Amino acid sequence: MKKAELLCALAFLIVLGLLALVGLPGNILNLFIFMMIITLTAQGWNLLGGYGGLSSFGHAAFFGTGAYAMTVLQTSFGINAWVALVCGVALGALVGAFIGFLSFRAGLKGSYFALITLAFAEVLRILANSWDFTGGAAGMMIKLQNGFAYLQFSDRRYFFLILLVFVALALFLSRWLERSAFGAYLIALRENDQAAQALGVDIFRVKMQAITLSAGLTALAGCLYAQNFLFIDANVAYGSWISIEALFAAIVGGAGTLIGPLIGAVLLLGLGEVTKSFSGGIAGLDLVVFGIILVLCVAFAPNGIRGFFANLKRRRSAAAEAA
Amino acid sequence: MKTLTNSFSRRTVLKAGGAAATILAAPGLVRAQAPIVKIGLVQPITGAFAGDGDLARIGAEYAVKEINDAGGIKALGGAKIQLLIGDSRSNAEAGAQATEQLKTDGAVIVVGGFASGIAMTASQAAARYELPFIIDGAVSDGLMTRGLKSVFRFGPSFGASADVALKNLVAINDAAGKAAKTVAIVHEDGLLGSGLAKLMQQRLPPLGFQIVETISHPTPARDMSNVVLRLRSLNPDLIIPSMYFNEFVLLARTMQQQRVKPKGIYALFGGAASSYKFVSEFPDAAEGVMDVNHWGDPKNPTNAKLMEAVKATGKFYAYNTPINYSLIQIAAQAIEMAKSTESGALVEALAKNEFDSGVMPYGRTKFDATGQNVNALPLNTQVQGGDIKVVYPEQFAQSKPKFPANG
Repeated sequence: MKKAELLCALAFLIVLGLLALVGLPGNILNLFIFMMIITLTAQGWNLLGGYGGLSSFGHAAFFGTGAYAMTVLQTSFGINAWVALVCGVALGALVGAFIGFLSFRAGLKGSYFALITLAFAEVLRILANSWDFTGGAAGMMIKLQNGFAYLQFSDRRYFFLILLVFVALALFLSRWLERSAFGAYLIALRENDQAAQALGVDIFRVKMQAITLSAGLTALAGCLYAQNFLFIDANVAYGSWISIEALFAAIVGGAGTLIGPLIGAVLLLGLGEVTKSFSGGIAGLDLVVFGIILVLCVAFAPNGIRGFFANLKRRRSAAAEAA
Repeated sequence: MKTLTNSFSRRTVLKAGGAAATILAAPGLVRAQAPIVKIGLVQPITGAFAGDGDLARIGAEYAVKEINDAGGIKALGGAKIQLLIGDSRSNAEAGAQATEQLKTDGAVIVVGGFASGIAMTASQAAARYELPFIIDGAVSDGLMTRGLKSVFRFGPSFGASADVALKNLVAINDAAGKAAKTVAIVHEDGLLGSGLAKLMQQRLPPLGFQIVETISHPTPARDMSNVVLRLRSLNPDLIIPSMYFNEFVLLARTMQQQRVKPKGIYALFGGAASSYKFVSEFPDAAEGVMDVNHWGDPKNPTNAKLMEAVKATGKFYAYNTPINYSLIQIAAQAIEMAKSTESGALVEALAKNEFDSGVMPYGRTKFDATGQNVNALPLNTQVQGGDIKVVYPEQFAQSKPKFPANG
């Protein structure tokens, strides 16, 4: 089942890649690029919030750190884009470890942990808004230079393919997590951390590892966001919008599942575009329709789209058995 | 039970299939009819800046109607202009997506942007296709330093506007016998406010003004009492605010309540001080406030017609309408001159020619090597007798500046 899911997700990514290679209109390619960036962010969130049950409202802290590291290192220090990417991921992971250390040492969980992550993201947003080296409120631009070394391409399909590779790697990471002892500890502490501790799981260590991994992956998404749009400011990088996108995509798709974040990001952003094309020029109608569909989605699929289909399958097989 | 499950599943499949088909088919839907020239407008139609986007749309639609009624694009056999609107949803990545959509739908030239962050990503997206993009009133200096050949800016930059604002301030103050000597700067801590505050701190002292305090506040701000109490104790001659509409309204009303009456309030891109909404809702607090901002030429008769057009929709006129009206006019002139809708020819036409500036007080529009309109100019406005009047420079002035405003 899990293996089939992974294969399905990989096949979907391959189809997207092939579609891009065959030729897609610019707006669709742009949408797919953004979808994959959000997928990566949601996959990052899912490691901590989905598998570990540590819901964060502040993944913007990691996303923004990746985005700023990518931008500052390239523009102010002339560092190669790929090296900057690695540094961005490392810095994001470091910020994750720092926030995790302070929160978990104090034993924060549930809504308190969610609020502290939100607060950290806000602090970073305000700092990035005021410091000169982050460009202050004016934000920062990455110089337009095409070439593999700059991680910028005149043909954006290459960038999209690189993104697909990263999303696929994140899928493998989730798959590894599901099968590893570390993943089992993480899920155990989500279900009942005191019981897990009683059984000898070092919950502080597991939580630290989870937040570091989660932050690193989200920072990677931030790096790629900056490299795609070539412009960031404090509200874009550290704004609450990205924290919401991350948890929204993961929860709607199915938190704590392998393909939930991918399903969530593709459906939410795809739905946004579809409703936009149906709005017939009435401003905001697309957002209303989007909201209604989302409400229905959450009402009928409280465990996410992935959970909804799993339920459906279970009910069908139960009905088949009964017949 | 079984039937229910099946029907739900079929519907879900249909929905998903329909959605996927629409995504893939949408680009092809809007082609065919000729002769039509499509001009794209990227504006925030929804989100935090929706009001501004709507005013821009009114101006652009007015221009399109005017051009089409006058026979369309003559160089292309009277081709009619079709306005395509891309909603940037008030955020940067949706701005890029809106531009991509406009390109896919066949826009030959794109105008608009509104906020600097949105204009940054939207114009960047257009530059990938060398699709000409003319930015409206987004002022960030960084927009025109990117070396993007197909990106132009119609309005003045922040730096140039600040120069004009300071020069005019000195002129107005000198004419009033140097009435203002002390200045307090009140600014929001974002892009707009902190940039201006920094600039004023550097530039005002050499011009003979003493800055008594620089006070920052977050956006949104819920209460301005402390800021106004501080202003009251400092008693500066002049207050230079730099913030968005709601905060300015709050500041002006709190100042009125606490009877803080400086000799003048002088804003740069203050928004509210050039807003009929503010003047209409809070006439007493607005009276005497001065602003340096984008503004339509009051002596151009079309500007009055635009004001009427906005009023007819029950909205309040602001600069978004004249600037986007004029942008469509410039785009149409560029197509006439290029005699083509091909991107390269349009970029060349924009780079090499001079254009009539529509209703903006820019004289002839001429884009320099960076794509900046060298003749772009903000105007000084002042709220006088419950109306917004242009008070400086003289060739556009409807009345003289009243300074000190509370003198």
